[in-house]
Amino acid sequence: MKAAPFEYVRPQSVDEACICLAADADAMIIAGGQTLVPMMAMRLARPSRLVDITRIPELHGIRDDGTAIAVGAGTRQVTAANDCSIAGSVPLLAAALPWVGHAATRNRGTIGGSVANADPAAEIPLVLVTLKGSVVLRRPAGSRIVAAQEFFIGPMMTVITPATCIIEVRFPVWSASLIGVGFQEISARRSDFALVSAAAQVALDDSGRCVACALGIGGASAVPQRLDAAADALVGSRLSDDEIGQAVRAAVDTIEIMTSSHASDGYRRRAAAVLGTRALAEARDHAIQCAAGPVQ
Amino acid sequence: MKVDLLVNGARCRLDVEARTTLVDCLRDHLDLTSVHTGCEHGICGACTVLVDGEPARACLMFAVQADGYAITTVDALAPAPGELSVIQDAFCETHGMQCGFCTSGMLLVAHALLSRNPNPSHADIVDAISGNICRCTGYGQIVDAIELAARRLAGTNIGAPGARIMSGPAFKFVSANRRVREDRRFAAGRGHYVADIKRDGMLHVAIVPSSHAAARILSIDAAAALAMPGVHYVVTGAELAAAVDPMLNGLDTPRVRRFSLAVGQTRYSGEWVAAVVADTRAIAEDAAERVEVAYEPLPHVVDVERALDPSSPEVHPEHGSNVLLDKTFVWGEVDRHFAESPRSLSFRVTWGRNSTVPIETFGVLASWDPWHEMLDVWASIQMPKYAEQIARALRLPANAVRVHYDVDVGGSYGVKRGIKHTVLVAYLARKLGRPVRLIEDRLDNMRSGDAHGPERIFDVSVAFDDAGIVKSMKMRALDNVGAYAGRAPFQLGKPIGAIVGPYKIESVQYQALSVMTNKAAQEAVRGFGQSPTNYAIEAAIDKVAAAIGLDRVEVRRRNFIRKDEFPYLIPSGTRYDSGDYHTVVDKVLAHADWSGLQQERDRLRETGMLAGIGIAACLEPSGGNSSFEPLLNPKNTTTTWMDSCRIIVDGLGHVTVAIHTTSSGQGHETLAATVVGEVMEIDPDRIRVVRPDSLASLPSNSPVGSRMAVMLGGAAFHAAQKLKRKLTTIAAHRFGVAADAVDYVQGAAIDRATGKRLEWADLILIAHRNIHLMPEGMEPGLEVTHVMQVPTGTALPTADGRVQMYPCHSFEFHVVLAAIDPDLGKTELRRYVIGHDCGTVINPHIVKGMTLGGIAHGIGAALMEEFVYDADGQMMSQSFMDYLLPSSHEVPSVEIVHHCTPSPFTVLGQKGSGESGYLGAPAAIAGAINDAVSSLGISFDKLPIRLTAISDAVAAARESTGGQ
Ligand code: FES
Ligand code: FES
Repeated sequence: MKAAPFEYVRPQSVDEACICLAADADAMIIAGGQTLVPMMAMRLARPSRLVDITRIPELHGIRDDGTAIAVGAGTRQVTAANDCSIAGSVPLLAAALPWVGHAATRNRGTIGGSVANADPAAEIPLVLVTLKGSVVLRRPAGSRIVAAQEFFIGPMMTVITPATCIIEVRFPVWSASLIGVGFQEISARRSDFALVSAAAQVALDDSGRCVACALGIGGASAVPQRLDAAADALVGSRLSDDEIGQAVRAAVDTIEIMTSSHASDGYRRRAAAVLGTRALAEARDHAIQCAAGPVQ
Repeated sequence: MKVDLLVNGARCRLDVEARTTLVDCLRDHLDLTSVHTGCEHGICGACTVLVDGEPARACLMFAVQADGYAITTVDALAPAPGELSVIQDAFCETHGMQCGFCTSGMLLVAHALLSRNPNPSHADIVDAISGNICRCTGYGQIVDAIELAARRLAGTNIGAPGARIMSGPAFKFVSANRRVREDRRFAAGRGHYVADIKRDGMLHVAIVPSSHAAARILSIDAAAALAMPGVHYVVTGAELAAAVDPMLNGLDTPRVRRFSLAVGQTRYSGEWVAAVVADTRAIAEDAAERVEVAYEPLPHVVDVERALDPSSPEVHPEHGSNVLLDKTFVWGEVDRHFAESPRSLSFRVTWGRNSTVPIETFGVLASWDPWHEMLDVWASIQMPKYAEQIARALRLPANAVRVHYDVDVGGSYGVKRGIKHTVLVAYLARKLGRPVRLIEDRLDNMRSGDAHGPERIFDVSVAFDDAGIVKSMKMRALDNVGAYAGRAPFQLGKPIGAIVGPYKIESVQYQALSVMTNKAAQEAVRGFGQSPTNYAIEAAIDKVAAAIGLDRVEVRRRNFIRKDEFPYLIPSGTRYDSGDYHTVVDKVLAHADWSGLQQERDRLRETGMLAGIGIAACLEPSGGNSSFEPLLNPKNTTTTWMDSCRIIVDGLGHVTVAIHTTSSGQGHETLAATVVGEVMEIDPDRIRVVRPDSLASLPSNSPVGSRMAVMLGGAAFHAAQKLKRKLTTIAAHRFGVAADAVDYVQGAAIDRATGKRLEWADLILIAHRNIHLMPEGMEPGLEVTHVMQVPTGTALPTADGRVQMYPCHSFEFHVVLAAIDPDLGKTELRRYVIGHDCGTVINPHIVKGMTLGGIAHGIGAALMEEFVYDADGQMMSQSFMDYLLPSSHEVPSVEIVHHCTPSPFTVLGQKGSGESGYLGAPAAIAGAINDAVSSLGISFDKLPIRLTAISDAVAAARESTGGQ
């Protein structure tokens, strides 16, 4: 299980990386490599050239620009998991990161790499879609920002064109004071890829009424899916178990399930409903707990 | 490309190919063989190193990516040569390893965890190691080790948790809580595995696999491959078949011929069609892609019941049918018992295809020396008569094959037999005049290592009465053997030796049916067919209990053989040695707080979970022989199945013990030293244990059939007795008394009447230097050997198919509480208690590890492990992404309740324990799940029981009953 031969380059800047990519149609970016390297070992991926972007300084760093936390694409998952601004401002990402692979893969894997890989069951893309985040792309021609919902177009497929590099991944910050998050996932073994996962974030007002709500489901469909119908229906409610259950069940019925051998379609839909419900309840409880407890 | 690494503090400038992974770089360029590869795709964790202080998988990084980083391997943990770090030492103290293959990775993860978090909780530890798969230990002793290390580093050491010391006769070293001597080298990263061995000029093999389940091979064009730089040779099945003899096929089915490479036709997807030899494995893989094979697809069959239909495609048309073996035994008055019994029931259960899947794949290196006419073989082998089989296939004299037994095997649990691999590389080594090695990669191993386990459909009927007493059983076991016989048919034969389990079932009809399909061939798997059979027997007892509405434990108690009935002759001809099943059950139920456990189950149910308790009572036949061979193949008259030991006391009085096999984590060096130390009354730590090569070895049959405690332990015991007798005879001659008037006490010989003594040094002096003081005719020096035959196993089967199978029978009683999420279907094992009686325990740590590891393996078989083929005959679980091995998250803390019923047939009362947990865990877990879902009117009768299957069935049941 040895990779086919390839060339390796380690550019010092994004522009240089884009030039390397443009020069060779079969070149690929490598960051942490935690998904790409095994694909190469099995010769399911055979890039002619690897463009290693892990040491480009401009791809590192976590910035708070007021409305979003912008995470440099080359930021390692472990760095994000230990970051205070992410914990404080994008708690949903913080809740999801422990579910990404294992500690050893989080030590090398990057935020941008997981987004670029676009596994329908992956946690970081799910959080990004759920929060209506965006991806900043750079080509030799210039940069553009793509909304997460447009970014993912199918299993392992994104709008990234050749010679394009993800610069930054932007996770919106909610301004409400009482925010709670929930992340739920089912897999055959903990830390395996998820059969289905659910991410929820809610904001409550002082009286405990829901003023904002986001719910996303991963693994069930070709790309992570927001259940806006459920989220919208719950805004204004007190997020009782019944209200959550009803809203999620109705919304889950509309998901277009991705058929695969690992679980029946019925299983995925059922799990989406259950996990979506649990994630919302967890988010609600988390918000209430934050209200009661000391400011963190 | 140039890379600059800081490895264990030393700056290393290297020139590597861009595609060289960090693990290959460390191993091949820097000889850091403490870093292992188990999967090369990022799942197993065997390759873990620290990159800038944090654990990372060295197979998921190209060396060039690591340029400038600091890499730490386990080699840097030891403070000085021969000295272990606190963490390494803790792993040795709790025996947090067996084969040692995962140990380097575990140690580095533990090291990183404790550096970051000096006071981790149990859950922190379980989580930290969950990315590292251990196939041996079941994780319990690894977690213990890390907890112990944390306490020691914090300066609050209180002794190790340790394994409990057994009750039983008073021994000095046997049963004592002593360390396992092999652990030191593994903890230091100094195991010596086959992939660590290099020979000058060594070449590497890669395989061209069949892409079809069945196809005629029209042509093989290797020109493009051979034209590539670094490629030396491409061999096909046609060439090989002309030069070597087919591999042995234990049954009398001469037309089912098997070679290392497919000849004329492929019979399963992945089967080896050609082999490429090149300077490196990577080049060999490049070239293997260029070998062009033209196929004509043929019809195939993967479903065993369809394969049984005469109209289905034939896997070996020359054989005339897909049936390899169809033999029905009737032991006792089955028809009368069924006719007279007031009740009977019938059912079907299915055991899915899984295997032991060691983290080290199979590997072999062969080298031919034309001047000595000697074939040297190093392999990760666990195979009886390995050297003979190689010699036979290659038409060499057996004394021209030298197998090196001083190779550590990174786990096997039955499967590492590798004859097909060995014949291939040995042929190539002779042909090319260069050492040749084949180390399977994980894909080779999974799809074509021919190391799958049984895949069985059981149709069972039992006749019983209103009290639940089972009188008779009919069992039809239909096994999907795959494309070649392998050891599969015999795995239907061995369970005959415990076909009634621990129960007094008076008569049995057993149909053993081996049927070929277009799947990979099977190999021996832990328990050699016993675990599937135990699953079927235990399902029967659960169903009897349900049918009469009686408690499952009570039904078992009523049917158990009683303590005073041993030795007990079962209908199929085996005499069970000893046991006290009722007491073990009582102890387990008391320990587990049986009624409390039931209350806990009911409480879980009230919270909306599905919850169930599973139980399994089963036997581990041990001290293995091969009685199943003559039973299933009358042309085979083998009754001998020996093991051996040699003891040498040198001229300075130091003791060396030779054992004659490889080991794969069972601690045979500890076993031999402990037994010899016990008999000779010398500290086992002062005894050296060596493993000569096969030409310098006494006859031995390798650690199969849970036999080494009985057989190597027995051989060591008898050899030590002979040594003692020689010493007392020398002394008696000096004293002028009869030999039996002299006692041996702690190394000295004492004249019982006068109290005169000859000390150890005196005796050594006489034996080595004073022939004039020796009894006449006695050989000088002090060397003794013992070749031991399996106790009780000396006769051929009777005409009506009865035979004494294995001599000893360990007993286990499993109790497991499972909680299942009714919506998601996930099964969590909340409590696991096992009562275990393997007679006298020689080393408690080893027995504990075997038990826990076997249970972990059984959890996999019950819940997640399966080699799945699709309708086209393509294997869907070729990697560790699809074939799921339990991690530390899936294996609960297991509580072991000990009992000791010594065997009357063995020297110390010992029995085997190597298969233990695996033989009952699948049955117990299936029982727990079925108890959990019984209220819904459903049950699961096929393993593995995946979470999706549970969820789907529960949903369907709820829907049909109007929902909830
Ligand atoms: S994870 Fe690297 S060899 Fe398995
Ligand atoms: S000791 Fe862990 S795999 Fe053998």
